[in-house]
Amino acid sequence: MGQLLQYLINGLAIGAVYSLVALGLVVIYRGTGHLNFAQGEMALFATFGAWWIYDHGATMWFAVLTAASFSFIVGGVIEFTLMRPAGKKSPLTVVIVSIALFQGLNSLTTLLFKGSADGLPFPSLFPNKPGDFFRFGDETVWKYQDIGVLATVLILTALLFLLFKKTKVGLAMRMVANNSDSAKLVGVSTTKILMLSWGISSALGAVAGAMIGGINTNITTATMFEVFLLSSAAATLGGLDSPIGALVGGLSLGIIKSLVSNYPEDWPGGSYIGAPTAIAVAFVIILVVLLVKPSGLFGSTRVERV
Amino acid sequence: MSVLLEVNGLVAGYGAVQVLQGLDLHVNDGEVAVMLGANGAGKTTTMRAISGMIQRKGTVRFQGASISGTSPNEIVRLGIAQVPQGRGTFTDLSVEDNLRAGAYIRKGASVEDDLAEWYDVFPRLQERRAQKAGSLSGGEQQMLAIARALMSKPKLLLCDEPSLGLAPIITQELFAILGRLNTERGLAILVVEQNANLAMKIAHSVFVLETGTIVAAGSAEEIANDDVVRKAYLGY
Repeated sequence: MGQLLQYLINGLAIGAVYSLVALGLVVIYRGTGHLNFAQGEMALFATFGAWWIYDHGATMWFAVLTAASFSFIVGGVIEFTLMRPAGKKSPLTVVIVSIALFQGLNSLTTLLFKGSADGLPFPSLFPNKPGDFFRFGDETVWKYQDIGVLATVLILTALLFLLFKKTKVGLAMRMVANNSDSAKLVGVSTTKILMLSWGISSALGAVAGAMIGGINTNITTATMFEVFLLSSAAATLGGLDSPIGALVGGLSLGIIKSLVSNYPEDWPGGSYIGAPTAIAVAFVIILVVLLVKPSGLFGSTRVERV
Repeated sequence: MSVLLEVNGLVAGYGAVQVLQGLDLHVNDGEVAVMLGANGAGKTTTMRAISGMIQRKGTVRFQGASISGTSPNEIVRLGIAQVPQGRGTFTDLSVEDNLRAGAYIRKGASVEDDLAEWYDVFPRLQERRAQKAGSLSGGEQQMLAIARALMSKPKLLLCDEPSLGLAPIITQELFAILGRLNTERGLAILVVEQNANLAMKIAHSVFVLETGTIVAAGSAEEIANDDVVRKAYLGY
């Protein structure tokens, strides 16, 4: 029992990172209807940027906050210079441009940080020495590092929720998500809102990169690929247009992955279910959920009378 | 009576398809103008061109100033609010959020007063203030779309076929409200309508549109007495 609890706790931190990247995907999807394939690599670039700032003598917090702020601006610029012109052509063009951005940013990161293919040691934002954990009972521990990651993600989600529900700019974002033409008619500059959405999404990605760096204690140019894969699955599981769905989807996926990874070998199917197949099993579970509920757990099935 | 909206030689369309071929019309201060025309004549295109939703050529002047190159989110700030065809409510947002969305260009506490005022005019909206707009009936959604437009405190209301898909009794109620908005508050309205008989009752001036140009224009009485127009659009 204690062990099961331990696996749950272990899954929460990595799941929170999936949630954060998924939130970024959802913010853009709501505004544009597009899945941003470059979400992970934008975050990767920002994370290497944070490492670079840290390497030049800044504190880790300063480095991550600077990288996130910078990402906010870069996200807006990417929307304005690349995605908007692409969007005027066709949805397929947007997909191709974002895949190109995915590949390009990965290559750029490799180029700028030569010789770091084996990974750069990445310090955590939170206390992460061998004894830095809470202990429950005899066999369960919760690392400060993991608590920090989860808390950061929950706080950011709550802030995003307040932004959506309580501010005028949030109302405008919801308008654009629901009916872009009508948003224009009531006076919303939809172009500014889309830039803002990309900025927020990009900044969330930068924070997620720093979180995964802290969990893994290093970063490589491949770090964000698996994260992106699972995060887009998490966003799909939660329902692509639902922020709450992204949070729940990410955390569930983290927990599922942790539980499957630690599935006892002497249990039924134990020779197939385990760490090497964790992602595959997670995807099968998502597939089943989507078969039952195609719009995802919290995705909107539009209620509309005419 | 001064001219509020003046449109001259309006040319607009979608991509290579040119729908409007040099259209002229005007709306006077405090008056209701009705645009009649068959399906495909270009009524909705005209509305979308005035509110800046599509590319257009020619001159559009509002209160004397050109708005030909102005974007829709700026045009609403000048005082033109559009109720688009098919209502265009924010279906995933609550009724109250829809109304607040209408007041997006405004600041300050007077928004709350207006909210109360329009709830008074449209009591059904108040009953359903927390409900998603998409779950309202067609008539209620049309009321919501009009109330949302009014929340921007417009000088001119553009109404694109408000009766579309509504029961006759709801349509009558709707036009009674539009009429009252005009007579009691002096709101200028340009309304596109298929139900010519009903629209003519509240109209001061009428424009008849055929394949992208105005083929007849005049006061409501003049048009009602024009044999050709009467047969084609009023059906008697």
